[in-house]
Amino acid sequence: MILFEPFHLPFMARALVELVILGVLAGTVGVLVLLRRLAFVSDTLTHTVFPGVVIGHLMAGDDGIFWGALAAGVVTAVLLTLLTHRRRVSEDAALAMLLTTLFAVGVVLVSRQTGFTSDLTAFLFGRVLTVSEEQLVQTAVVTVVVVALLAVLRRPLLLRAFDPEGARAAGVRVGLLDLVVNIAVALVVVAAVRAVGTILVIALLIVPAAAARNLSDRLAVIVPLACLVGAAGGWLGLVVSYQASVEYDLRLASGATVVLALVALYGVAYAAGTVRRRAALSRARRRAALEVAA
Amino acid sequence: MSERAPTLVLDRASVAYGDVPVLEELDGVVHEGEAVALIGPNGAGKSTLIKALLGLVPVVRGRIEVLGRPPAQARRDVAYVPQADTLDPDFPVSVEQVVMMGRYRRIGWLRRPSAADRAETAEALERVGLAGRARDRFGTLSGGQRQRVLLARAIAAKPRMLLLDEPFNGVDAVSQHALLEAIGSLKEQGASVVVSTHDLAIAHLACDEVCLLNRHQFGFGPTGDVLTPERLRATYGGHALELRGDRVIVTQT
Repeated sequence: MILFEPFHLPFMARALVELVILGVLAGTVGVLVLLRRLAFVSDTLTHTVFPGVVIGHLMAGDDGIFWGALAAGVVTAVLLTLLTHRRRVSEDAALAMLLTTLFAVGVVLVSRQTGFTSDLTAFLFGRVLTVSEEQLVQTAVVTVVVVALLAVLRRPLLLRAFDPEGARAAGVRVGLLDLVVNIAVALVVVAAVRAVGTILVIALLIVPAAAARNLSDRLAVIVPLACLVGAAGGWLGLVVSYQASVEYDLRLASGATVVLALVALYGVAYAAGTVRRRAALSRARRRAALEVAA
Repeated sequence: MSERAPTLVLDRASVAYGDVPVLEELDGVVHEGEAVALIGPNGAGKSTLIKALLGLVPVVRGRIEVLGRPPAQARRDVAYVPQADTLDPDFPVSVEQVVMMGRYRRIGWLRRPSAADRAETAEALERVGLAGRARDRFGTLSGGQRQRVLLARAIAAKPRMLLLDEPFNGVDAVSQHALLEAIGSLKEQGASVVVSTHDLAIAHLACDEVCLLNRHQFGFGPTGDVLTPERLRATYGGHALELRGDRVIVTQT
């Protein structure tokens, strides 16, 4: 069958497993990003991890990418948390400066290499079809750590997202919690960087969570749904790019195809969400009418 | 009859954000089961005082004691009710979940809410008259109902002191009545209440004491003694109008 056949090839199977794990990781963190309205902060993190990727690659080849990204991710997560808590500069402007500066540092470093263009493309857009088993293990470990951390902290995280003043008043250490969230976002970028690259990972974070939000008002449903959409987008994207290349000799970049598959799923979720909201509205109207009558 | 214990002590207290003083030389005492209204124009420092009582803004001179402790150490027994319209109405939480947040300190991070937690949550919703809305999404309620849910969240925390920031702003009559009832029953159970408001009528109705604020303290004491035309005029500057000698209208809040 067309939807399963490509994954008899070991490299396709590895790519699928990687994207499913990433779907779960990015889906979980993505819901938090959505609730906290941290899309721009997350986008900044995706760019600030980039120089770490380049430096890691310069120092230790492909194996260095994960550790370089990890170091850059943690450092910039701390920097961003401090920056957004001080408010000396307008937050947006500060983020935009940090984003472009560190991105430029990465480009300058990579441009000193021979094979510059191909390296740059790999760092920016990833190479999901060359994912190794070691990478799968790294992604899985990061996923388990991040999902467990967020599960343990779910109550303070929810309170802080919903009512920051109330959280402070209840004694929640908001600064520390924000650092945890920023590090979680950075870890998603780190885990995803070799498979989908630093640019496309933002779609993995935002799109499944936004799609799931359309389908439910309950967090207990939204989180698993976001994971499911993320994983489904990965699967669909891989199938489409594989079939296009084998059947029609069309070369579609798999990472970007995955992103487009996610956006298509979002479109479906949006349509379903519109129907759902209409139904809820008419239920509410009926109930209001009944209350008035009573 | 035994003397009621003081729950809030302001002793020549000054409060500042960094180097900028916001409130200076506050003095007063609130006892168990009493409610005090913080009254003053916008920017007078009412919200800042509430934050200081939570230990979120530092006391730079003098002393503030909440339940016999420095404010930051009293948070466990203090519940804060923010203005409902500062919260995102699209946020995907149910009414029940919001009220359960009041129990988080007792539940901790990992344990599931117990039957007792659920019972407290249900009872708190009952007390604000919204028992039937537990499963609805918070944002689908009216502004006044959302304010009642936030009060229920505070009630579920079983506080000894309740801090409310402008709870009556833009609230319909039904909700206002429900809020006043719930605050009254908390007082009867011995909780102290601090509530900032623009509404002098509500101060008369719900509060035993009034603290008139505008950067400085313009009065602190029993509602009838403090809410005088002279003091209101002093607090509000040119924005207080006198009608027939004894009634005052505040034209700008």
